[in-house]
Amino acid sequence: MIIRALLLVAIAAIGYLVFLRRNRLPFHIVIMFGMLALGAGAVLAPESLLDDVAHVFGVGRGVDLITYIVEAAGLFVLLHYYTKFVELQRQLTTVTRELAILRAEVDAARAPDDRGPKPEA
Amino acid sequence: MIAAFNEAKVIRAVVTEVAAEGWPVVVVDDGSRDDTAAAARVAGVTVLRHVVNLGQGAALQTGIDFALRRGARAIVTFDADGQHSVEDLPSLTAALATADIALGSRFLGKEVQGATRRRKAMLRAATAVSNRLSGMELTDAHCGLRAFRRTAAPSLRITQDRMAHASELLHKIKTSGLRVVEVPVTVKYTAHSMAKGQGGLQAIRILFDYFFRSS
Repeated sequence: MIIRALLLVAIAAIGYLVFLRRNRLPFHIVIMFGMLALGAGAVLAPESLLDDVAHVFGVGRGVDLITYIVEAAGLFVLLHYYTKFVELQRQLTTVTRELAILRAEVDAARAPDDRGPKPEA
Repeated sequence: MIAAFNEAKVIRAVVTEVAAEGWPVVVVDDGSRDDTAAAARVAGVTVLRHVVNLGQGAALQTGIDFALRRGARAIVTFDADGQHSVEDLPSLTAALATADIALGSRFLGKEVQGATRRRKAMLRAATAVSNRLSGMELTDAHCGLRAFRRTAAPSLRITQDRMAHASELLHKIKTSGLRVVEVPVTVKYTAHSMAKGQGGLQAIRILFDYFFRSS
């Protein structure tokens, strides 16, 4: 079935775009706008036309084709924002760490007799 | 170096005991909701505080970074819940004479005090999984009592903020070719430390973090 092959290719492309080509192109924005355009097109297009397009891809009904596309696009957006979340968490860690160290250094500078790790530790 | 989260009840006694033996102590309060930082400060040691809770891995790395900036030649990580024994510190640091990193082991001769059979079985299962993931053969993969030389620190940089850092460390030890030795240590489980231990379900999260949040 053509659609199965297409969906597998789409999933592979998602993996490639999300994990290997991260941050190079704003694909997530393109895909979100594409979904909006697709949604508007699906509403405006006559049902028979959608069915005809679906048949080209080996899918029985136009509505099924839309479902497949939305699922693949949704998966991409989900994974994209997950990787973004992990990246933000890493940045939060860096900032929190630097703040903690900076405060300790300021405290130590104010109190010269502060007990910290000595070089011979 | 002691990473602590919500340990106000025990942290003062733990750091006082370690500091009393002459070890320079750095406590990293990982965004505790209780008075952990204040309790540790009372003991007169250096306290760093994360303004938000990040996880044990992140707290350890913060302490390591701070100790390195202050010129530490070796770093020891010590649990905040009172399960480790300060008497083990000399043998752990002495092992660094011939190794880059010394890992404490609860199952290398000394007794595991107070642990239930279920806890021991879980620890052994976790060790088996970690050994499989890291390609190492250790008797105890998740003991928080470790020591390493300053020169080993860059190779051991922790990127796993939460509990998966233990497996991450083993993987990094293996791939960096650092000389590692296991040192027998005594671990005393108390009701407090048992309550703070990792449950079986936490293992799923740790595995998820290990595989999907690695850098």
